[in-house]
Amino acid sequence: MAVDRKRRRFFKAVALLGLSGRLWSVGHEAEARPLFPSPVRTNRLRPPGAVPEELFPLRCVRCGRCVEVCPYGSIRPLDIRNGVFAGTPVIDVTKVPCWLCMKCVEVCPTGSLQKVSQQDVRMGMAIIDKHSCFTWKEEGLLCHTCYNVCPFKETAIKLQAMKPVVVEDKCTGCGLCVHACPVTRDDGEKAINVQPVYSFDAAGSGHEGR
Amino acid sequence: MFNLSIPLMQQGVVMKGVSRTPGSSRTGKRRSYGRLRLVTLLLAFSLIIAAPILNFRYHIDFIQGWYQSVSIGNLWFVSPLEGLETILTSKGIYGPLLVGMLLPVVLASLLGRVFCSWICPISLLSELLERVIRLVRRRRYRAAGNPLPRQILWFVLVGELLLAMILGAPIFVFLSPPGLVGREIMLLVMFGTLALEGIVVILVLIMHLVSKRFFCRYLCPLGALLALLGQRRQLKVEVDHEECVQCGRCKLACPMGLDPARQEGGSAYCWNCGDCLDSCQVDALHFSWGQK
Repeated sequence: MAVDRKRRRFFKAVALLGLSGRLWSVGHEAEARPLFPSPVRTNRLRPPGAVPEELFPLRCVRCGRCVEVCPYGSIRPLDIRNGVFAGTPVIDVTKVPCWLCMKCVEVCPTGSLQKVSQQDVRMGMAIIDKHSCFTWKEEGLLCHTCYNVCPFKETAIKLQAMKPVVVEDKCTGCGLCVHACPVTRDDGEKAINVQPVYSFDAAGSGHEGR
Repeated sequence: MFNLSIPLMQQGVVMKGVSRTPGSSRTGKRRSYGRLRLVTLLLAFSLIIAAPILNFRYHIDFIQGWYQSVSIGNLWFVSPLEGLETILTSKGIYGPLLVGMLLPVVLASLLGRVFCSWICPISLLSELLERVIRLVRRRRYRAAGNPLPRQILWFVLVGELLLAMILGAPIFVFLSPPGLVGREIMLLVMFGTLALEGIVVILVLIMHLVSKRFFCRYLCPLGALLALLGQRRQLKVEVDHEECVQCGRCKLACPMGLDPARQEGGSAYCWNCGDCLDSCQVDALHFSWGQK
């Protein structure tokens, strides 16, 4: 009897899981869901010059040379909890951002990181959350930290009426601004965050790193 | 069983004799491939320890990587299986990758699976483990002959490549035991952590305790690819039938479970480690170059 009930509960759970999966997928019908979802997300980016994310895990041989050569320890390999992405390099810009020294690009033996110049790096795009940024939210506070640390000041980030504004097609996504931002939201993100918009085909087109 | 145990005990005595007088050998002219190989393995291992230390602490990027891709100055190596896998899964060819694969492929087609026996960090760890066990148990460690047919190796290679292509994800690149050793060392040196998948290395070593070099013999797809490349290699272990007294020591010594006295030293499975040459008491075995 007990076994039977347990079994029934198991089947119910499976059915519910399946149903929830179907419901969830209704809104996402258009985009093909990959077998292994990418670990790249907000503030967790591929190193400079990375090929698009659907190609990256296929090309990368996980040799770790980009990790080794990085003088700042910005690049870290993922571990097996990320499934087939284990061993691939990511930069968590909230921990250690990228100073665009471009050494990793030089050593990649597989072309997963392709040669780009500093200003052509597109690891992602910084987006200011105007609801949590001091300068945008409150009158009188003039925090320009993100502006001050940007390696392409006045090109990739500008001040408009004393408020920082990201120039979208010039931002390299190095994450220096994210790392320096004094505001940490409740969800752990900052008031300025780098979105890996170029890593995914749907959003990122025109990136030359293919 | 009784038959086996007698040469085994004799062997133990001889080995102790050798180890008591390091450097000088029994007959004077004999050299020990085992010792030479241990030195090579240690050098190869120190390379992957030195690489992260030099890179991270001193910012010297002259040597890099581990045995998935190594660079020494401008000389780049890429492991042939990892390279092949990325070519198959990404369905594209990147020139520098092919160039990196070239030297290992040439090496394997001339010398056979020598990477496995002379360079691979798993080989070093297995040998060290053997030595520790010999110290503890005070006798030479041996584990049973051939629990499985050797041909499994080829099926593993084909299966692994097919699975990688079906899944659309290269498998060996993130679970290769020699690669994992390097990755764990790097993580330890650079970030003071270890990755969970290092368990694979421990599993491989446990398998080695249960049956000698089990993973290398049956399950290593990289070893299989190198063996395949080295099937028509130049360097082979050959037996001099005039000298051979059929004592069976070489068969016991062989980590791959081959019988060099029956010319299995020329088979694809032999990885030219030279253990059989060391074990031979009558110098009936030798390395030979070229086809016969």
